[in-house]
Amino acid sequence: MNKFLRVTLAFLVVGLVVWGCAKETGPIKIGLMGPMTGPWASEGQEMKQVVDLLAEEVNAKGGVLGRKVEVVSEDDGGDPKTAALAAQKLVTQKVVAVIGTYGSSITEASQNIYNEAKIPQIANGSTAIRLTEKGLKYFFRTCPRDDEQAKVGAQYIQNMGYKKLAILHDNTTYAKGLADEAKGLVEKAGVEIVFFDALTPGEKDYTAILTKMKAANPDAVFFTGYYPEGGLLLNQKKAMNWPVPFIGGDATNNPDLVKIAGAEAAEGFAFLSPPLPKDLPTPEAKAFLESFTKKYGKAPASIYSALAGDAFRVLIAAIQATKSTEADKVGEYLHNQLKDFAGLTGKLSFNAKGDRVGEVYKVYKVNAQGEFILQP
Amino acid sequence: MKRTLLMFIVPTALFLLSPLVLNPYWVDVLNNVGLYAILGLSLNLIVGHAGLFNLGHAAFYAVGAYTAAILNTRFHIPVLWLLPLCALSSGLFAAVIARPIIHLRGDYLCIVTIGVGEIVRIALLNNVFGITGGVNGIVGIDRPSIFGIAIRHPHEFFYLIWGFAAITVFFFHRLENSRFGRALNYLREDEVAAEGSGINVAHYKLACFVLGAAWAGMAGDIFAAKMTIISPESFSFWESVLMFTLIILGGSGSIRGVILGAFLIIGLPEVFREFANARLLVFGAAMVVMMIFRTEGILPPRPRTYPNIETAAGEGRP
Amino acid sequence: MEIFLQQLTNGLAVGSIYALIALGYTMVYGVLKLINFAHGDLFTIGSYLGLTLLTSLALTGRLGTTAGILCLALMVMGLVALIGALLERTAYRPLRQSPRLSAVVSALGASIFLQNAVMLIYGARFQVYPHDILPKMPVGLFGLYIPLVKVLVLVAALVMMMALYLFIQKTKLGTAIRAAAIDQGAARLMGIDVDRVILIVFLIGPALGGVAGLMVGLLYGQINFTMGWVYGLKAFTAAILGGIGNIPGAMVGGILLGVIEALGAAYLSIAWKDAIAFCVLIGILIVRPTGLLGERVAEKV
Repeated sequence: MNKFLRVTLAFLVVGLVVWGCAKETGPIKIGLMGPMTGPWASEGQEMKQVVDLLAEEVNAKGGVLGRKVEVVSEDDGGDPKTAALAAQKLVTQKVVAVIGTYGSSITEASQNIYNEAKIPQIANGSTAIRLTEKGLKYFFRTCPRDDEQAKVGAQYIQNMGYKKLAILHDNTTYAKGLADEAKGLVEKAGVEIVFFDALTPGEKDYTAILTKMKAANPDAVFFTGYYPEGGLLLNQKKAMNWPVPFIGGDATNNPDLVKIAGAEAAEGFAFLSPPLPKDLPTPEAKAFLESFTKKYGKAPASIYSALAGDAFRVLIAAIQATKSTEADKVGEYLHNQLKDFAGLTGKLSFNAKGDRVGEVYKVYKVNAQGEFILQP
Repeated sequence: MKRTLLMFIVPTALFLLSPLVLNPYWVDVLNNVGLYAILGLSLNLIVGHAGLFNLGHAAFYAVGAYTAAILNTRFHIPVLWLLPLCALSSGLFAAVIARPIIHLRGDYLCIVTIGVGEIVRIALLNNVFGITGGVNGIVGIDRPSIFGIAIRHPHEFFYLIWGFAAITVFFFHRLENSRFGRALNYLREDEVAAEGSGINVAHYKLACFVLGAAWAGMAGDIFAAKMTIISPESFSFWESVLMFTLIILGGSGSIRGVILGAFLIIGLPEVFREFANARLLVFGAAMVVMMIFRTEGILPPRPRTYPNIETAAGEGRP
Repeated sequence: MEIFLQQLTNGLAVGSIYALIALGYTMVYGVLKLINFAHGDLFTIGSYLGLTLLTSLALTGRLGTTAGILCLALMVMGLVALIGALLERTAYRPLRQSPRLSAVVSALGASIFLQNAVMLIYGARFQVYPHDILPKMPVGLFGLYIPLVKVLVLVAALVMMMALYLFIQKTKLGTAIRAAAIDQGAARLMGIDVDRVILIVFLIGPALGGVAGLMVGLLYGQINFTMGWVYGLKAFTAAILGGIGNIPGAMVGGILLGVIEALGAAYLSIAWKDAIAFCVLIGILIVRPTGLLGERVAEKV
């Protein structure tokens, strides 16, 4: 061929290769937004550990659609303002989807940003009902909602025959939401609420509150706050010699609860929770627990990091099934095609609003050895 | 004169054009810087000029933000029209609060302002009067619109916020160089002498609180419109600490210093995102180092200069 | 009546911890006029160090409970005192001649630094003290329930405060501290080595804060890196309530704050209790502008 033709051909080939590379072989970036600093740092850091581990495993098997998966994580500091900035940062880094975050009002601050940028967001630790009532097309969550948990809780309270209930929350969005929902449901069932108030998280001494509650003489206490305070409450009520049964929401689900309260004080404590990974019979969950412990030296403590892991896995499944990273396709798949996905925390499907479908919550009780036993 | 004007105009022009080249994340960072600059300038009047130790400024910010949020979501008054109302509510609030505590000395005033900040936050959290929405706050606040153009994206907010910041700078600059500003400086330096010179110290202290609060209230209005959701978490003691710190870091009492402080306090943690979990550790260390090396703040105020006064021949020059 | 007494004792127990921490604040303020925002984090460090020492050295196993805890307390006090002195040297000494507010910002920076350092070293999860160290028996007095340990804590706090008070009032070094608190320049002229005095203050104050941290760990069992912020703020409030710069004032302020919180929670509302405490504080300050026991330091007239 003459020179001109050869040069043009060379250019065409190079151009095709470059175009092909640019289009197809860059890594698929998945964003992770979580509290890496601030009061919820332990949750955020564990979320990152879980998702990083899962990404490693996916890449070891060759990646997705022939491309490697890269996890881009940003710190939201457990604060709405920082979350808005973190969201902007992830958007500019061209992630195809975001997992996160923990804390309903923090997630809320980032929802509009992701929705306007057409980036699917799967929250793992935000249970406030209103998040999925806004008609956001690209918002999902692997964690259940407060109303579902309240239903299971109310059912349990009725089953146990408690007639006078004390409800204690901590004035966070999650805890208050759950407390309000539960109050509404149990009152309809004829249970009397003898005490309804909030403690201040971050303190250590709750004897004043326990004394006040004791004076109201409830049959049981429903605490909707987090495990650090839950553990302290159990410990201090035991020291007060007050044997009233305590029921907790899913934020009390954490092995540290028993450590803080002491096995003696924690015995008999009932709480609501999605099934713990150790109670899942699926091989995925067992394998995951093993590899996590191998890499990081201890088992994951929080159910929410497992939920973040599930968010990651459904995203990968959606991308693989639709052979695309476009938000509309991924979103449509998650809404309509994903059914009974074998997640770490159980079977996953999403409804039209983006909520996780199915009865997720179970009742657990702590036994004398401090283990969490699933109740039938 | 020409040179300083050029030195001033060129960076400003570059700054004003920056949204066109920066990505939305950095523009949003600049927006936050702008908001904190406005807040810092309002607190600067109280801390920098009058020397009053105020660590509860977030309370005034909150009152303004919640006023805007409540009035907007209930009565659908456009957000920008609410600016004077927010200033009024914050100012009134400050007037009521400051009146009994204005005579307290230094550190006692400090703890009382912290107390006021906490009381406001707890009241908002517990849904005082049933209108603040408790821990969920208030959602669904409208975005602002000027002459029918809605302001939604970071670069649009950029011009709104920095436009307001420019007005703020102008206002406080004029205030500094007025009788009011001089009186404040005087009472900062020596309260007794100021009183002796005929300055009604209590009146001026109260006035500067009210003015600073009113301005913070307006900043709250813009914040509410930008976030569209506000909750008590955004108005914690930590926010007051941030505002206070940015003034001292940048140079208490000087406008340029406060703006620089805003850049540092918002920009640095963002720049330090590289360090992931150690982000705040590095920031804390940076704060200590900055204070040690520039204790007056990085851009402290220049001493006042007065133009030469004509004197008759033979009289001493002042 | 029973409820009132019960809540009163609850408040006393909480208040004694606030009082111990407030002592550290007030001592440093008295001499340097500096609000040491990092003091709360020294308190946190004390509890973490206590945990590390307790578990790694198994002191109570080797020496028995009382001797073990005493030994632990001394070690914690010593270590935190050293950290406090180091803090003073790096973050505050260079700012001795500077405006007061600069030192406050430096203190804030130091506080952020220390808090995040603890988070990075120990991890963000809550840490737990072993449960079987202290005896769990409650003491029954007039039908009230008071755990023995809280009584012990209260007694220990009182003993330390008395010791500190006697030290400041009766010893030569204590007099030097008081002199430096009144006027550093004049003290220097009297031949007092002000730098040494400040060093001593920064050894004693943080030591007390550290041992308070140890007590909180032993008493409540659970610690985490952000607890210094809340406790520090409360202790600062207590110090102001009693009159900052005044040692008996810090004691009174701490205990009073604990009681107000407990009674406010019991009779008004738990969710509002902090707001109530602050309202009482503001009320007291309006009536007595220099705190309950007034200030020891002379005002510039």
